[in-house]
Amino acid sequence: MSQRVNPNLKKDLSKYGSKDWNECFHCGNCTAICQLTENESLFPRKTIRQAQMGLKDSLISNVDPWLCYYCGDCSESCPRDANPGELMMALRRWQTVKYEWTGLAGLFYKSLASLIIALVLVAIAIFAIAYTKDFNHEALMHFGHSLEFWLIICVFSIILVPNLIRMFYFTVIKAKVKAPFGSYISGFFFLIGHMFTQIRTFKCDKQTTRWLAHFLVVSGYLSLLVITVFLNWFGTENQLIINLGYITGGLVFIFTFILIISRLSKNRELNKYSHSTDWFFIIWLFLMGLTAFLVRLFIDIDMLTNNFWLYMIHLMIITQWGLLLVPFGKWTHFLYRSFAVYFSNLKIAGLKKQGKL
Amino acid sequence: MGENNLTAIYFCKLSNGHTDVVDNLAVEEYAKKIPNVRITWQAADLSLTNPDFIVNSVKENNLSRIIIAGDEAGMYKSFFAKALVKAGGKPENVLLASFKEYGALKKSDTDRAKAIVACAVYGVAFEEAAKPDVADVNPNTLVIGGGIAGIQASLEIAGGNQKVFLVEKTGTIGGHMAMFDKTFPTLDCAACILTPKMVDVGQHPNIDLMNYSEVQSVEGVPGDYKVKILKKAKFVDSSTCIGCGTCSEKCPVKVPSEFDSEISLRKAIYIPFPQAVPNKYILDAENCRYIQENGKCGVCQKVCPVPDCIDYTMKDEVVEINVGNIIVSTGFKTFDAKKADQFGYGKFPNVLTSLELERLINAAGPTEGNIVYRTQDKKGNWIFQDGAGVPNKVAVIHCVGSRDENYNKYCSKVCCMYSLKLAHLVKEKIPQADVSEFYIDMRAFGKGYEEFYERIDNEGINIIRGRTATVEQCGKQLKLRSEDIEGSKILEENFDMVVLAVGLEANKDSLDLAKMLGVTVDQDGWLNEANYIGDPVNTFTGGISIAGVCQGPKDIPDTVAQASAAASRVLQSILNGKINKSIKDLSLESIESRAKELSKIMEGKV
Repeated sequence: MSQRVNPNLKKDLSKYGSKDWNECFHCGNCTAICQLTENESLFPRKTIRQAQMGLKDSLISNVDPWLCYYCGDCSESCPRDANPGELMMALRRWQTVKYEWTGLAGLFYKSLASLIIALVLVAIAIFAIAYTKDFNHEALMHFGHSLEFWLIICVFSIILVPNLIRMFYFTVIKAKVKAPFGSYISGFFFLIGHMFTQIRTFKCDKQTTRWLAHFLVVSGYLSLLVITVFLNWFGTENQLIINLGYITGGLVFIFTFILIISRLSKNRELNKYSHSTDWFFIIWLFLMGLTAFLVRLFIDIDMLTNNFWLYMIHLMIITQWGLLLVPFGKWTHFLYRSFAVYFSNLKIAGLKKQGKL
Repeated sequence: MGENNLTAIYFCKLSNGHTDVVDNLAVEEYAKKIPNVRITWQAADLSLTNPDFIVNSVKENNLSRIIIAGDEAGMYKSFFAKALVKAGGKPENVLLASFKEYGALKKSDTDRAKAIVACAVYGVAFEEAAKPDVADVNPNTLVIGGGIAGIQASLEIAGGNQKVFLVEKTGTIGGHMAMFDKTFPTLDCAACILTPKMVDVGQHPNIDLMNYSEVQSVEGVPGDYKVKILKKAKFVDSSTCIGCGTCSEKCPVKVPSEFDSEISLRKAIYIPFPQAVPNKYILDAENCRYIQENGKCGVCQKVCPVPDCIDYTMKDEVVEINVGNIIVSTGFKTFDAKKADQFGYGKFPNVLTSLELERLINAAGPTEGNIVYRTQDKKGNWIFQDGAGVPNKVAVIHCVGSRDENYNKYCSKVCCMYSLKLAHLVKEKIPQADVSEFYIDMRAFGKGYEEFYERIDNEGINIIRGRTATVEQCGKQLKLRSEDIEGSKILEENFDMVVLAVGLEANKDSLDLAKMLGVTVDQDGWLNEANYIGDPVNTFTGGISIAGVCQGPKDIPDTVAQASAAASRVLQSILNGKINKSIKDLSLESIESRAKELSKIMEGKV
């Protein structure tokens, strides 16, 4: 399989956060110390090799970066300080951009200014809409509720699903994976379970507390989504739904706060380097949980009508989140990580069928 | 050239992973004041991607020469040569001012770096300009360190009919080489090469051997050093001891044997090993029950057949000698494998260092050369004893403590080859054994070494590319995890015994001695030579030469060669009756003015 060597790949990748990997002298320590690496997908060393050689096509087809959960063992023990874990992280960002078809993700990942401008524009738009509705709070809350619903539908069908198909094209079709049909079906059930639990993390040592924090944020976020959008948290009278909303909203902002603090303290290998997109992702998630919580609280204590600015802020954050940060930001790792395991299992099944394993 | 000698100087980046480097900005400031220097560039301000900028600068300023200053000046030569030619100059007018070559490594060496640049600007070789005066020389020589380097240097000088004082810290000469079983690549027995030399040293009329002694202070000037040597009390009269060994036999105290790399026990009164030179017993006061517990033993004195030979009241003694030359050959220490805790040394009994295996394999070692498991004796010491089980699967892990940013950056040079040798020896002793080597790169760098590697490879030893990441105890066995890079798979295999190929490190004695002698050390602690390439034996201090691993990791053949070279420098000065004073005492001004003079003479000739 011949492919073109891309000498500018290093420069390109360095925009996504990784710098030192060219130090690597291929001792294999990182692969050997990794708890997740398997004979069918040897990483990080092989991936570093592809990056060093400028094999862009191989890298796009490589799902291994998504199989890494960044425990940091490889970077800590690397004899060259080449930071393999950070390269895997940078590659996940790079692949996020490559899978995304509109090119907006690339713009936002590479230029912080453009992301900020886009966020400001969305905020202005929300303000303008509110202005056209004369800041009538019931009309606006009604608008906000249907906006959330349509955002989810549109972002999914226009951006996320096509991106997943692109990911499938790059990692399965282009990589010439020939998996038996049965493995597509059997892998799918595992995919769904894995998407919400990320049980693979347990293969790594010392990741349990991190998994728990992550799991609580993910399940909190997803339930909050269901409760606000489909169960109409802000409009409902059902006490059970209201209380569930408080719990999930609280989960989201409390645990994202913990994650923000740990990123700030840089106490572990995996949070030593943070890209701007990491910050936006986690801070907006925090703000979303916090403002949703406060909005419902203000409704319950009958203060929202007098403090309508709160809902305005919440709506801005929700829209920025749904319109920019979900489709073109780090949110997508929720899908890519799970589908990567699916595609990787297809690859293994294909190799087994061909008798190469 | 336009024969105007107008010059530009480019300063390379000096980091190399170290923070203590020459102050490039100070050198630049100095260089700007030298006549003919028109432009200076710092690497940080000038990207070496566009030669046109250089071409234009050369043309605009009518330059005819470019000097590249720094540690790896040669790396940039072709770039500047092309640019100079493009601007109409001659490629030979790109000159190098190599800091590293002339020992300017740290911030404190900045003045020397200035002198190196000045010499380059004046077009004079540094060693020509930095020529110290000569002084009379005392024909006696002091050799510090009795390993193979010290032995070789002493024999060479003594063979030239000159007096040598050989000072050795431990009870015997021989150093690390005496501990080795075989040497690579010939698989000759190390002792067969070394012991005759040791005996020669012991018997040579021109060599005054002072074992169990340390250099306390050095005063004086090149050619006339006054050295105080501390002779530690041996509590045994070496002149009357007949070496019968009765005392040691009866001594009730057992402590780990340094010579056996602490894998066996020795007595408190001992000789390090049977072929020790001098072959006289030493009483180790720290462990002697009589000395430590106020006369509660005294067995050795009672059984000694020579009257008054053992004397518990003996005191340390300081002797003063006068010498003209000093050779430093203080060797090395091995990397402390406990620091790399992923390999479990010190936690798992059957993880060994290479030096421990070396003693275990040796026929004169604790098990007479049988490779067995490490077991506990009745008192709980983990040692090797005959009768323990035989390991059938042995792994050797390369680069332990070397080529690793977490420990030592440098390659220790000898580990690849000695690891191959150890694999061969294990296979020789246990033919059914499964022996694996885990390496990063195979550095078979010397004469016959590549062939040696091929030979071992063909002996059925698994040579696997891939650094081992972890060693864990797994039942009675040790589980290794490694990437098999060539086989493209993860290797998770159990072994009975794991050997760590530990690297070499500068020892503390070398550092202390260097301070005493005014010899500088590099960032890794190795002693600095006068010229990295052209004069690897002399130092910048007159009358002080260096030989062996204290100058940098090297194998036995290189060590012996360097020791002979050091001896030839010493003999040269003795035969001339004159010795060069210290280059380090030359002031920057004096080097600069001499360089100026020489350049005038050279121009006059042209």
